[in-house]
Amino acid sequence: MSDTAALTFLKKVPWGGGKSPFSITYGKLMMWIFLLSDAFTFSSLLVSYGFIRHSYASNKETPWPSPDHVFNHFPFLHGVHLPLMFVSMMTFILIFSSVTMVLAVEAGHRMAKKEVAIYMFLTILGGIGFLSCQAWEWTQFITGTHEGRVLADGSIFHGANLIKNEYGPTPFGDLFFIVTGFHGFHVFSGVVINFIIFGNILAGTYQKRGHYEMVEKVGLYWHFVDLVWVFVFTFYYLI
Amino acid sequence: MQHTEEHLEHTEPPVDIKRQIWRTFWILFALTIIDIAIYFYFIGHKSMTKNITFIFLGVVKAFFIVGVFMHMKFERKWLPYLIITPMLFVIYLITLMVIEGNYTSFVR
Repeated sequence: MSDTAALTFLKKVPWGGGKSPFSITYGKLMMWIFLLSDAFTFSSLLVSYGFIRHSYASNKETPWPSPDHVFNHFPFLHGVHLPLMFVSMMTFILIFSSVTMVLAVEAGHRMAKKEVAIYMFLTILGGIGFLSCQAWEWTQFITGTHEGRVLADGSIFHGANLIKNEYGPTPFGDLFFIVTGFHGFHVFSGVVINFIIFGNILAGTYQKRGHYEMVEKVGLYWHFVDLVWVFVFTFYYLI
Repeated sequence: MQHTEEHLEHTEPPVDIKRQIWRTFWILFALTIIDIAIYFYFIGHKSMTKNITFIFLGVVKAFFIVGVFMHMKFERKWLPYLIITPMLFVIYLITLMVIEGNYTSFVR
């Protein structure tokens, strides 16, 4: 085999050099690597949640609360016991905004500027809707119930802060704030990034560039946020 | 270049891709409904089987989001290997820490 023939052979195999073995652009590959590292961060939070929750398994004084007694409120239906309904609604909002995002990516492949803009706008609306729901959920959690909990010194404590809460052990409130807070921060930054991309779409930046790859990259991030919520929903509210 | 863009602009959306997106949406919707149904049917019960079912449904949902929405299914096989292999170690860590948590509870 001559040198040229060997080189031609190498260029044909995936790891032979001269091209990306993943056959995607470096931007998308790096977005995947970033999402992997972000998945580690969220995993560490959920792992510590699992550890702390199980370490309270035989604690009779301050048992770990059952989620259906904590997250059972719904806006405008005060005093009605509706466990999980509000969070399920939030889940559907986020799944739906994920669908509009993937439709924006699909429209981007066809260079249909108007459609990309419409779907991107719907995605931003979904993100803002989710954040508003979470703000209500946090307010509810922090304000607490009317009954509250009687503390050891006889006083009644309502709601939650980082030191104590009426629902159960301190780590329950802390983990609620850090897990849903960190996820909410991701949704917030996703909305901000989506908004910037939306402005660029309207300005015609990607139309001039000839491809809508930026929409695909923020799409990856947005789907990841949805993915994390699936697990937060499972571990925090269902189990 | 200009000509190609002009051409692309007026093409109809590929029906099969759109159908796949909406099918995935309905699958995710149905799985979440199943989650909620199991939750309300066994409300107040604490069982390992129920927890494992919830985690299994969560992993199935993750499979559809990553596979279809994030397009992982259609990439070169090296990309799934690169991303999914490290996550398998996370599952190992979760198992270890849950066992450790139970032990801590036992010692206390």
